[in-house]
Amino acid sequence: MTKEVMRRLATDNAYLHKDFHGALSDGLIYLEQRYGGEAVREYLRQFATAFYAPLTQSIRERGLAALQEHIERAYALEGGDIRIAGSEDEMLLEVASCPAVTHMREAGYAVAPLFGETSKTVYETICAGTPFACQWLHYDEATGRAAVRFFRRQP
Amino acid sequence: MISCTEFIPAYSELFKYLEARGGPEAVLDFWNYLADNFLGNLHDLVVEHGIRGCWLYWSHTLNEEAADFTMELDEEVGEFTIALHRCPSRAMLNQLQHVEPYHNYCGHCDALYRRVLEPLGYAYHIDLTECHEARCTLTVRRPNSPTEGPT
Repeated sequence: MTKEVMRRLATDNAYLHKDFHGALSDGLIYLEQRYGGEAVREYLRQFATAFYAPLTQSIRERGLAALQEHIERAYALEGGDIRIAGSEDEMLLEVASCPAVTHMREAGYAVAPLFGETSKTVYETICAGTPFACQWLHYDEATGRAAVRFFRRQP
Repeated sequence: MISCTEFIPAYSELFKYLEARGGPEAVLDFWNYLADNFLGNLHDLVVEHGIRGCWLYWSHTLNEEAADFTMELDEEVGEFTIALHRCPSRAMLNQLQHVEPYHNYCGHCDALYRRVLEPLGYAYHIDLTECHEARCTLTVRRPNSPTEGPT
């Protein structure tokens, strides 16, 4: 039997490992079981505050266009079906089905009961400290189908 | 949605959150949980295919993660190795200007895979001495492999 060797460069493949959604989901399940649901939201706020700080800053500077670009890029990468409409002061995001939830269901990963917080808490945190807020109109836990309205806060 | 391309920073921040709540033990407890609940595919592949299961598992993950690596399988000797020349996860964390990686981020690769493979009788070793530069070497040896033993 011969020795098998696989050599790959980073440029040989595209970076898209959807199983990571399953790992994040398991992380949320663990957090909720050990520390409760508020721990899930607290962790996601901590993550979003730190990691998306440049995006939050960009929304302060450029408005909802910056958020729209971020969302479009993320869903395009993962093959998500979304629709975005709006103006400078308001934006409606409709997600036909969430690529993360779709992948987890297809691959047999457990979908955390609070997985929707990866959108709800994260978008709320991204918008905190900007002139904008968000309002969830609909979220379907089974598919991740969602509708969310981003709008300029009243002074 | 947090894109899967943004998972690694989320993972690193989860380790920080857990450590702030319960110390390093809380992080290790999570890694054990993840090994038991998320790595069933690695476990099942090794049970079904022996040491080739490692090759099958990491062929999938390392390619999807666009890693720079050399992977070798010698079934006759019973040895599987990965030389990760550039770990995409650690490299991403190192490149982030505004977020500090969890101080023991690479420790999860030791804890998780060891917990899956050692109960199946395999010897598992990972050299993390250069992990801060996004490089590591992982070795799995089959029980009764001629080269089994401390590395």
